[in-house]
Amino acid sequence: MSSFLTSLGNETRKGLLFAWSERLQILMELPFFAVFILLAGPLLGAGQQIAAGRLSWSLHSGRTSLLLLAFVPALVFYFQAVKLFWRLLAEIQSGTLEQVYLSPLPSWLVAAAGRVVAALIETIIVVAGIYGIISAFVPLHYAWNVTALLPAAALVVTGTGYSLIIGGMTLVWKRIQMLQEGFLLLVMVFAIAALPVLTVPGWFAGLGRAFPVTSAVASLYGVLIARRPVTALWGTGGLVWLLGTAAAYLAAGILAFHAGERTARARGSLARY
Amino acid sequence: MITIPVPGAGWRMPALRATVNETAKGVRLMWRRRATLVMGAVTQGFMYLMIEFLVGGGHLNHAVLALTLPAFFAFSLASAAALAGSGSIAEEVNGGTLEQSQLSPVRPALLMAGRLAALAAEGLVPAAVVTAAYWAGFGVHYQVRPDVLVPLLLTIADALGYALLMAALTLTVASIGTVVHVFNMAVMFFGGMFVPAAVFPHPVEIFARFIPTTLGVQAINGTLAGLPLPAAWADGTLPLLLAHAAALSAAGWLTYLSTLRRARRGRGLSPR
Repeated sequence: MSSFLTSLGNETRKGLLFAWSERLQILMELPFFAVFILLAGPLLGAGQQIAAGRLSWSLHSGRTSLLLLAFVPALVFYFQAVKLFWRLLAEIQSGTLEQVYLSPLPSWLVAAAGRVVAALIETIIVVAGIYGIISAFVPLHYAWNVTALLPAAALVVTGTGYSLIIGGMTLVWKRIQMLQEGFLLLVMVFAIAALPVLTVPGWFAGLGRAFPVTSAVASLYGVLIARRPVTALWGTGGLVWLLGTAAAYLAAGILAFHAGERTARARGSLARY
Repeated sequence: MITIPVPGAGWRMPALRATVNETAKGVRLMWRRRATLVMGAVTQGFMYLMIEFLVGGGHLNHAVLALTLPAFFAFSLASAAALAGSGSIAEEVNGGTLEQSQLSPVRPALLMAGRLAALAAEGLVPAAVVTAAYWAGFGVHYQVRPDVLVPLLLTIADALGYALLMAALTLTVASIGTVVHVFNMAVMFFGGMFVPAAVFPHPVEIFARFIPTTLGVQAINGTLAGLPLPAAWADGTLPLLLAHAAALSAAGWLTYLSTLRRARRGRGLSPR
């Protein structure tokens, strides 16, 4: 047990050291993400005005609050999955990934665990920064409630599962940057579609439910904006869908990572590139 | 006197051969990863459609699609080339093969030119295929004249200059891989894939014009809408595009050569 905890602590510390070495990058991301959220609000559902070449860029508190809520999960995924992908790739290329198998921890836990705490800290810092910048332009309204921690925790579990799926794919196909970027942007699009920002067709909403963040965003919306209790069972943001999505993505992530690992070990390509 | 035959001595210009070899290596690697390339292109194309759905308020607005499709092409090219460029340099640094390439008598700039040609292929093929599919599939109407080749080629040069700059920064910024995703998002958003840059508030439009490919997309849109090329020159878009592509390409080359020189001195050519 003690070696288990030591390994886990070491991996977390490594993740934090990496995060600290990337602090300049966080500073670069902050203004871009804030401007993106501010400008995205007016253009959603504004196809007619855009085609006519004139768009009213007035900022609405309600819509901006919704968009920030949809954007936070994408950030969790970005910090967990994108960074895990690049680090895993670097470890494969430099040959240190094989050392993972000297650890008493399961390999999937070593790969993902070190990132979770660092991803959370990075997300909190960036979200706080974005919140501060956006608040300077438009007031944000949330009914802060401790029960929001439940969908937030489900989001972290889902994000970990998703990052393991990406990790498993990285072990087999290595350079999947483009695919990975496309997935991340789709996650962001469907997170927005989970909110009552605009009316989307049924198939679009149905497709969105299969995406990892949709249920967590819907649940966060229920708690922080619609002031609903988090205990409702059914519907996209209901407990059943929320916890089911988190468990399904984590299980799929562990399976995908194992499958990728087995393939890479059989090919002898864990360290060879 | 013993004469040792030099392999490939039949080539009159060994520098040209080395450059072509770099391109061939990149193209062969792209072919080996064709499955992920196709999946990536399909995902990116699907993501563009979903964004159009959000902008259209739950349906596709064909007028907006016509205005943003050139931006999708430019984004697809720039993002794929930047990610592949940065990824390939990181791979060679981590694998230790970038050091070996420095043993070549050929100048690093020429080797990079060969690499850039492969990046162009890796970016252009999926971007052109998906754009052509949407163009034909949605029946988008453009007035295509030979004029459009001028802004198109300049946009490609601009996108490749951006990719070169990202590849160059890989030698000094350890976390550039993750940063490229953020820069790509900026190219996507400010480059006109959500909304043409001219629709942004004026200060944002001015900022957006500094972002790679934005000016190119504006010039292409104007030409495809039937405006003659001199109109793009007269309103300043084309000269600015020319200056932007030249400045970005020069910045990419100079940064690459300077970071390479620094990496040679500071052992930055092998894993950090």
